Amino acid sequence: MPVGLVPSPSDEQAMLLDASARFMDAECPLATVRARADGGGYDDRAYRKVAADFGWFGLLADEEAGGGSVSGNGLVDAALIAAERGARVQPGPFTGHSVVVHTLATARSHGDLLAELVRGAAWATWAFGPEVSCALRDVGDDLRLDGTIAVVADAGDCEHLLVSARGPAGLTQVLVPVGAPGVTVRPIEGLDVTRKWFAIELAEVTVAPDDVVGAPGAATEELVAHQGQVAAVLAAAESVGAMRAHFELALQYAKDRIAFGRPIGSFQAIKHLLADTSLWLEMATGMVAAAATALGDDRPEGPELAHATKAFVAEQGVELAHNCFQVFGGIGYTWEHDQHLFFRRLAADAATFGTAAWHRSQLLDVVGVGR
Amino acid sequence: MTKEQYGAEAPDRATLEQYRAQARTWLENNLERRTRGEVPDRSPWDASDDDVDHLAAQRALQRRLYDAGYAGIGWPREYGGQGLHPAYDRAFQEEARAFVLPHLGIAGGATYGVCAPTMLAHASHAFLTAHIPRILAGDEIVAQFFSDPDAGSDLAGVRTQAVRDGDRWILNGSKIWSSGAYYADAGMCLARTNWDVPKHRGLTWFLVPTRAPGVTVERIRQINGNSEFCQEFFTDVELSDDDVIGEVNDGWTVTQTMLLYERGGSTSQDSGPPPRRAGIRRDVLELAAAVDGLDDPAVRDLVAQIHVDDLARLALGQRLAALMAADPLRAANLASYAKLASGVFDPIRANRALRIAGDRAVAWDDDDGAGAGAALGLLNSRFLAIAGGTSQMQRNVIGERVLGLPREPSFDSRKPFRDVVRDARGWSGSVS
Repeated sequence: MPVGLVPSPSDEQAMLLDASARFMDAECPLATVRARADGGGYDDRAYRKVAADFGWFGLLADEEAGGGSVSGNGLVDAALIAAERGARVQPGPFTGHSVVVHTLATARSHGDLLAELVRGAAWATWAFGPEVSCALRDVGDDLRLDGTIAVVADAGDCEHLLVSARGPAGLTQVLVPVGAPGVTVRPIEGLDVTRKWFAIELAEVTVAPDDVVGAPGAATEELVAHQGQVAAVLAAAESVGAMRAHFELALQYAKDRIAFGRPIGSFQAIKHLLADTSLWLEMATGMVAAAATALGDDRPEGPELAHATKAFVAEQGVELAHNCFQVFGGIGYTWEHDQHLFFRRLAADAATFGTAAWHRSQLLDVVGVGR
Repeated sequence: MTKEQYGAEAPDRATLEQYRAQARTWLENNLERRTRGEVPDRSPWDASDDDVDHLAAQRALQRRLYDAGYAGIGWPREYGGQGLHPAYDRAFQEEARAFVLPHLGIAGGATYGVCAPTMLAHASHAFLTAHIPRILAGDEIVAQFFSDPDAGSDLAGVRTQAVRDGDRWILNGSKIWSSGAYYADAGMCLARTNWDVPKHRGLTWFLVPTRAPGVTVERIRQINGNSEFCQEFFTDVELSDDDVIGEVNDGWTVTQTMLLYERGGSTSQDSGPPPRRAGIRRDVLELAAAVDGLDDPAVRDLVAQIHVDDLARLALGQRLAALMAADPLRAANLASYAKLASGVFDPIRANRALRIAGDRAVAWDDDDGAGAGAALGLLNSRFLAIAGGTSQMQRNVIGERVLGLPREPSFDSRKPFRDVVRDARGWSGSVS
């Protein structure tokens, strides 16, 4: 069942969504996601290649860079894809990768790498942290990068990391190859078993002037704030997809499960819980669509809606997951049932690319209620 | 510039512009301009006050619109309307926005938005001839006599009854929550006319004059200090077949129409275009500033939480409008989401405001609008969770008609209503 992020997509959007959905269902169905979660390997190079052919990774880049949107608003298009991915708890750093593509395209930087990312020849992600936790030092011809980013999803699959650091010229973004000396991408345990989790440690990493993205200082401050908003919309879109899928599973269960001589969904205790839960879902879906539209069209309310959307979806996504879990009852505790994949995903999504509280504080900043 | 050139078919641009120009001229010459910045009062809590002169002046204003052919622009000509295409009505309303229009309060809203449209859909030719022109002229304000004290959400369970006596009907019982009935001329009243059939099949609608012998109207003092809700008591009130709206014992059909108009009215404000720049709503910022809270992280987060939910509700309105446009048949059921959102989020919002206000909302000086506002906000916050269909009723609609969940078993929809009341008194929970 499609997520329906936009009730009436254009013909082109509908074609892209339909093809993408069929591809995901064939190439990486829940069985594959689960096998990976159980420790099985999954080489997603083929997946990435087909997805790139659909244009997934170029939606936030212009045509010069080999990209292009479907509808004229690439962020809405990317959010549509993100939502369908979320509904199928797909692996891979789609949000982080898309942000890097968008950043390189916006900064007109690293054209060759950008083309590679759009083609799906490599993964990249933005090593986001709520606060800047890395520093750059000037050592003559080069710079040295130090710091740690506590948690980055799927960094181990990536060839490149976009890192934000305080440097001599102010806030600076650099591209770091994952294999470079001094870069440690350490696998750690994670709540969401459909993703892989990593801590990143950067010790005396050599950064050449060419590795810097855009102009350090004010321009980068602005770009990083914008990246945070794009990431918020895409991450929330993935969450909304997961919310829809989790909810549909619980709704079907409420119709199928018989207790006390009736389908449990006929009891108002369950029916009203699901009605409220579907309200959160519709509100969350409406917010993602509104934020993607506004931010993608560069409208003045875009940043405000982006932060508000991530804040709302983070909290209501977890609420929704709890309510769905409750409807499943005991079966929801079994590894075998799919519900925990969504439960875990939504709880983890609530914190990645900024918690609800972090986005609320950003929200106050962008609407000008400064401290 | 004869009026005959305007008709029921969609006007071309030139015709509509000419109509608009005539309307503008008439408005300039006959109505007062609204003072700059003043917004039309649509608050459901603001009824016309007891001031008899004020009400008479509003009626006179309505009469002036009627005489000039600007009342009931889209309503049938044979009943005093103009029978024009809706485009004319929209054009007039747009032009009239800058002027002071008659304000007949909450019962006026019910009259023109709910009662009269329902009458037009179901009442007889003779009934409409007798009443619609008077309504359009401001001579007949019609309140809704809907809920019984014993039947609110279970509307089909009303016990107010009309009994046939020769060619008369004798009405007994009581109605409650009738907004503005104290200054209305009549009420549209749902009464049981047959106790020996299931509850939905023994109901009939009557028009009851508020000044008829045997009718008393009492105002109910509300917790927010207002008193525009009323309770009516009927003791052997004599009615005739001329007062019946729709078919005898087919009142539930009429009710469906009425609820549709009522819901339409309560959701239209949510489906408008989004504001260009949202921004935090002023009431919240003013409250936070009044308690010097804009430096306090806890207050700041509450302000942000309120704003996030406000934006989410706007986004829901846009999404519902888009879903309704994509599938109009689902519109009535989807409207329950807007109602439920108000019922759920208004109290949450009020609670957050209360937390921001702290003890300022517990006790306040006369000139402390912020504390008093937060306190009043709390008292008003459950209005939409209860009035016009409780949140539980909306959850049933969403659960059953949107999500497709099976209905609860019904213990009263098949048996005669007389037995329903009797059996319920001895309710043991076992179903025979």
